[in-house]
Amino acid sequence: MSTDFRARRFKANSEAALANPVLQANMKMAKGKFVDKRAISIKEIDDFEGTREAAKALRNQVIENLDLWLEMFEETATARGATVLWAKDGAEICRHVADIGRKHSVKKAVKSKSMLSEEAGLNLALAAAGIQPVETDLGEYILQINDNEAPSHIIAPVIHKSLDEVADLFEKTHHTPRKTEIPALTREAREVLRSHFLSADMGISGGNFLVAETGSVALVTNEGNGRMVTTLPRVHVVITGIEKVIPTLEDLSTLMRLLPRSATGQSISNYVSVLTGTKAAGELDGPEHLYFILVDNGRADVVGSEFQDMLRCIRCGACMNHCPVYQTIGGHAYGWVYPGPMGSVLTPLYTGIENAIDLPHAATLCNQCGVVCPVKIPLPELLRKLREKQVEKHLRPWFERIAFRVWAWMASCPTLYGIGTWFAVRYLKWLAGGKQSIPVLGAAPEWTKGRNFPAPEGKTFRELYARRQKP
Amino acid sequence: MRVALFVTCLVDLMRPRIGFAAIELLEAAGCEVIVPPAQTCCGQPAWNSGDKVSAARLAKKVIAEFEGFEYVVAPSGSCADHIRTEYPAILADEPAWHARAVALGSHVYELTDFLVNVAKLAKVPGNFAGSITYHDSCTGLRSLGIKAQPRALLAKLPGVELKEMNGAEECCGFGGTFSVKFGEVSAAIAERKCNNACATGAAAIVGGDLGCLLNIEGKLRRQGDEQTRVLHIAEVLTEKQ
Amino acid sequence: MSTRADILGRVRAKLNRNPDNAATGRAAIEATLAARQQGPRPAVDTQKSALAGRLIEKSLAYSSTVDQVATAAEAPAAVARYLAGLNLPLKAVVWPALARLDWSGSGLVAEARGAQDADLVGITGCFCAIAETGTLMLCGSPESPATVSLLPETHIALVPASRIVAGMEEGFALVRAELGQLPRAVNFISGPSRTGDIEQTIVLGAHGPYRVHLILLTAE
Repeated sequence: MSTDFRARRFKANSEAALANPVLQANMKMAKGKFVDKRAISIKEIDDFEGTREAAKALRNQVIENLDLWLEMFEETATARGATVLWAKDGAEICRHVADIGRKHSVKKAVKSKSMLSEEAGLNLALAAAGIQPVETDLGEYILQINDNEAPSHIIAPVIHKSLDEVADLFEKTHHTPRKTEIPALTREAREVLRSHFLSADMGISGGNFLVAETGSVALVTNEGNGRMVTTLPRVHVVITGIEKVIPTLEDLSTLMRLLPRSATGQSISNYVSVLTGTKAAGELDGPEHLYFILVDNGRADVVGSEFQDMLRCIRCGACMNHCPVYQTIGGHAYGWVYPGPMGSVLTPLYTGIENAIDLPHAATLCNQCGVVCPVKIPLPELLRKLREKQVEKHLRPWFERIAFRVWAWMASCPTLYGIGTWFAVRYLKWLAGGKQSIPVLGAAPEWTKGRNFPAPEGKTFRELYARRQKP
Repeated sequence: MRVALFVTCLVDLMRPRIGFAAIELLEAAGCEVIVPPAQTCCGQPAWNSGDKVSAARLAKKVIAEFEGFEYVVAPSGSCADHIRTEYPAILADEPAWHARAVALGSHVYELTDFLVNVAKLAKVPGNFAGSITYHDSCTGLRSLGIKAQPRALLAKLPGVELKEMNGAEECCGFGGTFSVKFGEVSAAIAERKCNNACATGAAAIVGGDLGCLLNIEGKLRRQGDEQTRVLHIAEVLTEKQ
Repeated sequence: MSTRADILGRVRAKLNRNPDNAATGRAAIEATLAARQQGPRPAVDTQKSALAGRLIEKSLAYSSTVDQVATAAEAPAAVARYLAGLNLPLKAVVWPALARLDWSGSGLVAEARGAQDADLVGITGCFCAIAETGTLMLCGSPESPATVSLLPETHIALVPASRIVAGMEEGFALVRAELGQLPRAVNFISGPSRTGDIEQTIVLGAHGPYRVHLILLTAE
């Protein structure tokens, strides 16, 4: 967990994002691709809503008996030669990985994407333990060579960067002539990373799903780095959250109809790797040692809470792709590992509600996220509950609390309300000075930062209606 | 049919003519319209801000005022949905009130939905002519399924040319208190909506929720556009040109 | 207390776990594992030629290329034609399981082993192919090493028509029936590797192969 709690500076971050032309151009472009492609691809499933319902049900099934399912996974994975470890938080993840590295004399670790390793700040810990970490997901690699910049989207980590920015970075880091085309840059990354794949001692991956039936991890990737990282090195470490368990291979098949489509609009990702146990006798490739690190880091406490629905999340990114706020400000403003609607729920839950006060409020509750979520998480309702929690814990500014109480009291007294509104509408109409709208409104400065406040008619409906009713 | 009109706080304050237009439409559909005079606000801003105490207080007031009517109609998807869907949740801890909330909810309708599906309004009283584009407000669309109903009503005006905008179903950026907490982000989202709407060349932007409309209108006027009209559908259906 | 005990303990507490519901819970888990419930499935015509047709259609949509011959014996010639057409050397690493085919008869130098960095062409079979999405299902073993479909720039896969199934579910059912348990590595492959990380522009050939070429064996 980042200790500078960037999420606390959401408002300032979001306003900076609005003023960043490269980010704005990229977000606009990305929106069209992810949103439009998803809309086309879900038509292929015939019964999209039924599949969502099935996915929700199978995810709930696990969470409702999470302890038993975890024990089942531990049993089946161990039976196939894996070692199952448990980590309470990011620090423990780092300790485990460093221990494993030491045990197996690891000098270099190649990583395919793991959001949990971001939660833990793993790369810094590896470096401190004398292990060179190399990110191999192209987006994550770009961030790593840019002084370990944070990702701004869980599926497309450098959605905020332009081609020029990447070309400059490669020229500077690889000491190669500057490329101007995306295929050439991708080819250069392939060549640079290839040598790392072949010389790494350890591969670290996340886990899209853990299959309890077989003790397997399922990795959903497009680049091939997930396969490289889990086929070539002699040690493979899987770091994933305890909520990622699913019951059967049939359940994996169901989720595979939803995940790629929801994430990028693909009917299927390039590679789905279902990995079980260590290198078998006579096998020519595969790790000799396989470790699972099952991570809590706030998840256990969400079980049985009013936020339990959030544990169904399969990390597709559809919510942020469709969120009008995320589309406008990008991911960095959210300040932690997970941005957009899911991040606005997870950041307060996992890092502390007081560290992310703005996030649940930085939403219009339009529910576009809830409509596209493949496992039907009621995101706006969870955001609203977090707002309620803030009020219960007295975390809201005092003037906001008082304003609502006063307003509610007035709205409960029709006569008082009638008098108050009688004055308010006349004042506002006067402020408009005959024009259609008011450009600056001291009472609502945030509103008039970017738009005018339309002038009211000047009388209230209640007073006009009452007048009409008089004989 | 006896209909109680829930006029909504924004209409009460900002655009009473929408309330009168709603009455005209309901009467054209053959309804007797009652306007409970002590109504103020459904309490949605409090609930969405996490103030359960204030939300419950106002919910009880509205329930007491409106229960017992065969139909309760509001010219707003978000207010109708708040009463219908959220009141039971707000009062979940108080069984008696919860039951009354559930009972009331089943009688509550958004205006266009009521006119099309319950009152089956045959002819609209206005003669509005011109090009318009329609903004689908989020709560009405996603919680109440308001999509075809306003369009069905607009189709009854032979002079109306409906030009659908790109992203008609996208949020306009209002979001209630969001607009006064994160004003710059809210205005940026509103700008996208305005650009989409104006790209159709329509002379008027029409919708079913006044919050959205005030947001859109405010953005247009800030951009220097004083011509494009921003109207509630009730106004469009009753306007006599 | 170990972390394991701490985490499981807290989860149990949150779920109000007691011996009674633990027993019913375990029974529910066993039942779920036994039931192997499938979710809703999109319609896939399972008539043999329709399956092949769909596999070809989806594979082409995913930027693979497709060729057809009748039997495995004709495959080496088809491979040689394909490589010559692209001006690629007639040299490949091949699954040991396919070593028995007459590669040299078609002028190919085919080495039956795991792939190395220098290998440009890898030739595999497949455990089965999924028509629904145009996907190859490869199971790793000493006879079918995973590196052959991963390291080389060009991946050629022989696909017997009788091994084309409708969906992933059928693929897993075949594994259970024929192999008993999952092998260490099951890889579902749908076309050449790709990335869209830079400006959301798709580029083929990220870390895995640039080209995937299917040779359908229609009579097998």
